[in-house]
Amino acid sequence: MSDVPSLTRRRARTGWLFTLPALVVVAAVTIFPVVYSIAISFTQVSLTYDGLRVEEWTLANYTTMLASSAWREALVFTVGYTLVTVAVELVLGIAVAVLLDRLEVGRGWLLALLLIPWSMITVVSAQLWGYLYNATYGAVTWGLGLFLDEPPVILGTPAPAITAMAVADIWKTTPFVAVIVLAGLVRIPAERYEAAEVDGAGAWRTFVSVVLPALRPVMVVAVLFRVLQAFGIFDLPFVLTQGGPGTATQSLAMLGYKALFQDLNMGMGAAVATATGLLVLGCCLLFLRAFRSHVDEAGEGSTA
Amino acid sequence: MSLRRRSLLGAGTGLGLAALAGCGAGSGGAPDLARAAEVPRGEATVRWWSFPMATNDGDDLRRLLIEAFRSRHPNITVTTVDAPAVTDISRSVLSTAVASGAASPDLYMGDVAWPAQFAHNALALPLDEVVGEDYWRAYPESLVHALGYRDDTYAFPFFADQAYLFYRRDLLDRHGLDVPASWEELTVAARTVQRAGDAEYGLVFQGAVYEGLTANVAEFVADAGGEILNAEGTRVTLGGRSGERALTFLRDLVADGVTPRAVGTFREQDSTDAFVGGRAVFLRNWAYVWGVVEAPDSPVAGRVGVVPRPGFEGAAGSGNGCLGGWCNFVNPHSENPGAAVAFARFCAEEEAQVIMVRNTAYLPALSAVRAGAEARRSPTPVTALADEVRLVPRPTRSPHYPQVSKALYTEVNTVLSGGASPTEALERARAGIADALEGNAL
Repeated sequence: MSDVPSLTRRRARTGWLFTLPALVVVAAVTIFPVVYSIAISFTQVSLTYDGLRVEEWTLANYTTMLASSAWREALVFTVGYTLVTVAVELVLGIAVAVLLDRLEVGRGWLLALLLIPWSMITVVSAQLWGYLYNATYGAVTWGLGLFLDEPPVILGTPAPAITAMAVADIWKTTPFVAVIVLAGLVRIPAERYEAAEVDGAGAWRTFVSVVLPALRPVMVVAVLFRVLQAFGIFDLPFVLTQGGPGTATQSLAMLGYKALFQDLNMGMGAAVATATGLLVLGCCLLFLRAFRSHVDEAGEGSTA
Repeated sequence: MSLRRRSLLGAGTGLGLAALAGCGAGSGGAPDLARAAEVPRGEATVRWWSFPMATNDGDDLRRLLIEAFRSRHPNITVTTVDAPAVTDISRSVLSTAVASGAASPDLYMGDVAWPAQFAHNALALPLDEVVGEDYWRAYPESLVHALGYRDDTYAFPFFADQAYLFYRRDLLDRHGLDVPASWEELTVAARTVQRAGDAEYGLVFQGAVYEGLTANVAEFVADAGGEILNAEGTRVTLGGRSGERALTFLRDLVADGVTPRAVGTFREQDSTDAFVGGRAVFLRNWAYVWGVVEAPDSPVAGRVGVVPRPGFEGAAGSGNGCLGGWCNFVNPHSENPGAAVAFARFCAEEEAQVIMVRNTAYLPALSAVRAGAEARRSPTPVTALADEVRLVPRPTRSPHYPQVSKALYTEVNTVLSGGASPTEALERARAGIADALEGNAL
């Protein structure tokens, strides 16, 4: 009897021993920087000849941030941009995935082609989009000029600039969503389609009642990944507009970057980063909770 | 086995706080200025953070300077560390390195907009005590002003940059027009050429949301007789008639079609492209652009003239050009501050500045060389005209200059895109700059 706890304990010790290196790495590269930056966000630090000096522990960074119109504008832009691009990408991604699923020949080739935008480094593709959108020699500007008397200065007017950026984002990440959704589609057993057919369901009905519910888990994964990425959007505005015109395309990440690396305001930069991290974490948790209950209901429904 | 989240987090928190506390425990304290003032007798090596600077025959100016320095101080070796090409990236790399106490680079090239911010954050060695306050008299006042913060000076001048007005000589000749002496004349001349269909745009400049727009605004405000901050960089002075006149002029340029609406997206390269591509009659840009418009493959080579920028009719200021350029800072943590100061100083003084004028298109910083016979005889007009430009400093004396600049360029950009009236934009820019000066801006 007395052997059992000691055996468990010994096993536990061995377990800890083996995981220790991994834990140290995780602590060093993830937990430490996160905690460090959260701590910095509550301080007023100054750089001195002796290094970083904490002047005082304060909430001033957060109060200044919350009171700042720049932060609120960046928040509205980032949230709106995330919602719209992720929604469009999800719809387009599912459409592309369904198409690929039905394709008998050349699926591999098409898939590879589709993945090219996704595999491109964003800074490079953003530069290319920048040429297309350029107000003096850009192809898109020229194309719009064929239909409009006075084509808009795409990256110099708020609404067109945001749209242009969203298009570049959707172009790049729709294939990513499509590939994840395709993986889910392939796993739907043929019997379900047959059963739907026997029940007399049409194509649309089958899609809504059979395919979409089955896709829920993969859609959750795709949306989560995309929300995380879209919320931290930095490279597109950095290359295309630098946050302009005015502050129309200034994302939270750009704001944090400017505070930290242009203004050398460490506390403020850390505060913006921490707030952004909390916001995206909160959104993801809420989303997961909402969707998990949905998945459970669907599961119960089908077994009942 | 259970991995307790709490213990992991606890350990992480402990580490983070310990590191934060430990940061204050660097070595040294205030830098040893007496040591920095002394040129070492023994062997020493200093690393110079700098970018390649092309000479007229394709060599690197840095090599010429290092060789010349070596013949004076054979015991000091200077090696170069290549800086990133983008100014902002150079700043973030340098500030993180120096702030963490790195001894390398021993001296670094930095933008003339940096000194106040770098001084405030203890990233540069104070120099007044090292070279004596009188040392700076040999340089243009506005340049020395830009290099200072509070009661000290934090960088050695290296080369200047300043803005000019480039114009298409052939187009003005064709329409019998003189080189405009004022902005009003320029508008009329531009419209004449545009109406005849000889050029799509009248005047192009830099209007995107970035530092370049601040430089343009600083010039136009100076043309109208105003300034953005007071001399010490502590109070907003932008506004009133001068601010209104400058911003109204900018808005009208776009509204009247003299300047394309796309100017709100233009940086240096875009505006130069428009001019070199033959689309614009006038271009406001930095001195180095002369080399671009006169390059062998430039479609407008040989048909371009350059003058100091004009002024407004009835206003006192004309020939204003924003002060740009680069200077050499000494790393306060350098192990060889004496040798680093010796080299930075050498680059600022006559021998090096003359080498610069003879071999490159970079504008010298030393007043005597700028106004000297060698510069005046230079085949490069931007060098020959260097001393005629009235240098307009940007309000860089504030350690919060980046936020000040951001408040200004963001609002003026909205005026260019038609999103705000000059009055509204001025009001918001003033408020934004005031917040920035108090350190309350984001």
